[in-house]
Amino acid sequence: MKKIFADIKKHLLTAISYMLPLVVASGLLIAIGNLMGGEVVTDLSQMTVPSAFTSLGVLGMGLLPSFIAGYIAYSIADRPGIAPGFLMGQIASFLGAGFLGGMIGGFVAGYIAKAIRDHLKVPKWAEALMPMMIIPTLTAIIGGLLMYFVLGGPITAMTNGLNNFITGLDQSQKSLYGFIIGFIGCIDYGGAISKVPNLICDGLLLEGIIEPEAIKVLAAMVPPLGVTLAWVISKVVKKRIFTNQEVENIKVAFPMGLCMISEGVIPIAMNDLLRTVCATSIGCGVCGAISFTLGVGSNVPSGGVFVIPAMTKPLAAVIALAVGSIVTALILVLIKKPLTEEQAEGIQEEVEEEVEEEVDLSGISFE
Amino acid sequence: MKIVAVAACTSGIAHTYIAKEKLIRAAEALGHEIHVETQGTIGTEDELTPEQIQEADVVILAVDIQITGTERFKGKKTVKVGTSLVTKAPKQLLQKIESELNK
Repeated sequence: MKKIFADIKKHLLTAISYMLPLVVASGLLIAIGNLMGGEVVTDLSQMTVPSAFTSLGVLGMGLLPSFIAGYIAYSIADRPGIAPGFLMGQIASFLGAGFLGGMIGGFVAGYIAKAIRDHLKVPKWAEALMPMMIIPTLTAIIGGLLMYFVLGGPITAMTNGLNNFITGLDQSQKSLYGFIIGFIGCIDYGGAISKVPNLICDGLLLEGIIEPEAIKVLAAMVPPLGVTLAWVISKVVKKRIFTNQEVENIKVAFPMGLCMISEGVIPIAMNDLLRTVCATSIGCGVCGAISFTLGVGSNVPSGGVFVIPAMTKPLAAVIALAVGSIVTALILVLIKKPLTEEQAEGIQEEVEEEVEEEVDLSGISFE
Repeated sequence: MKIVAVAACTSGIAHTYIAKEKLIRAAEALGHEIHVETQGTIGTEDELTPEQIQEADVVILAVDIQITGTERFKGKKTVKVGTSLVTKAPKQLLQKIESELNK
C-alpha cells in the first residue's frame, strides 16, 4: 500500500517538474501583457505586442492540463504514455476540468498504457508497432471513452454544482460572499475547482461588476505570500515547520505569488495537504471578505501586486491581502507539526559534517 | 568499486546537483571511482559513456522522479534511492552497497 502511494507521488512529482517552467513562463507572459494593457486576441489583424504576450500566456496556461496528464502518463508507462496522456489532457480542457481533470486523465492513460505494454502479447512481427501505434491508439481509445462517457459526467457535474451554488447565493451578504469566492478560488491553487469562481468573476467583470475580480486577484496571492510569511514567523518563533526542500520551494513560490501564480504552493501543499489547504483557504476567504466589504474593485483580471495600484481602492486592497496572508501564516505555524532537525534536514550545502546521522538502509537492495 | 550514478530531483535545479556533489565527495573519501550524470530541468549533463557504464560494478539512481535512459543499465546491479537519502548519508549508502556487493 505504501509502495502504491510512493509511486503515485513520484508520478505527480514528475509531472510537476515538467509543468513548472510552463506555468512560470505563461504566468509571467500574462502578467507582463496585462500590465501593458494587453488582452486575449484571436484575430491576427488586431494583434498588438502586449496582446501577443497575454494571448500566448493564456495559450500556455491552456496547455497545463495536457502537461500534467502527459507527464503523469509518461512517468507511469514511459514514452508510449506521452501521446495518449496529452490527449487525455485535451479532454480535461474540453471539460473545463483543468488540473484535476488532467491529473485523473494522466493516471487513466498511464495505467492503461502500462497494462497494454505489460500484458498484451503480440506476434514478433508486430512488436515494432507496439510503442508506435498499438499502445498510443488503444490507450487513447479506451482512455478517451472513459473520460468522455464515465468520468466526464461527474467532473462536469461537480463543476456545475459549484457554479449554481455560488450564483444562487444572497448577494447582500458581501462578507460571506467574498469569503466564499476567496475560499473556493484558492482551494486547489489555480486548479480545476478554483477556475469556477474565477470564471464567474471574469463574467461579472464583463457586466461591469468589478469587486469579485479584485477578490480573485488578491486571494490568489494569499497562499504563496502566506506560506512565505509562515516560514518567516516559524524562524522567529523557532518552530521548524518546513523541510529544507520546502524552503527552497517557498523561495520560488514567493516571486511567483507576487505575480498571482499560486501554483508554486502545490509542491509544498502536497506534503501536508489537509493542514496547508485549511490554512490557505481560510486566509483567502478572510482576504476576500475584507476586500468585498471595503469595496475594492479591479478592472484588470490578473497581474498580481503590479495591478494593485490600478484597483479602485489600493490601500484597502493591500490591507485585505496583508490580513489574509497573516491569517494563513498564523494558522500554518499553529497547526503544522513541528519538525525535528533531522526531518527538516534535506541538506545544508555549506556545512560538510563529518559525522552523518544514522539512517535506516535495511530497505535498500539491488533491483 | 567503480560506480556510475544518475541524480534527478523534482524542481531539477538544486537537489540534483547537491546529490551529485555529495556522492562524488563520499566516493572520493572512501576511495571509489564514480561518475555522476545529472538530469535537471536544463537537461542531461555529464552524460555517462557506455564504457563507464560497462566498467561499473554498481549503478546508483538518486532520483525522485522518472528519468530517461534507464535501459542503459539493463543487467547491471542497480540501487534506487531518493535524493534526500543521498544528501543525508552518502557515505553510509556507499558502505552499505559495498557490503551488499561483497556478500
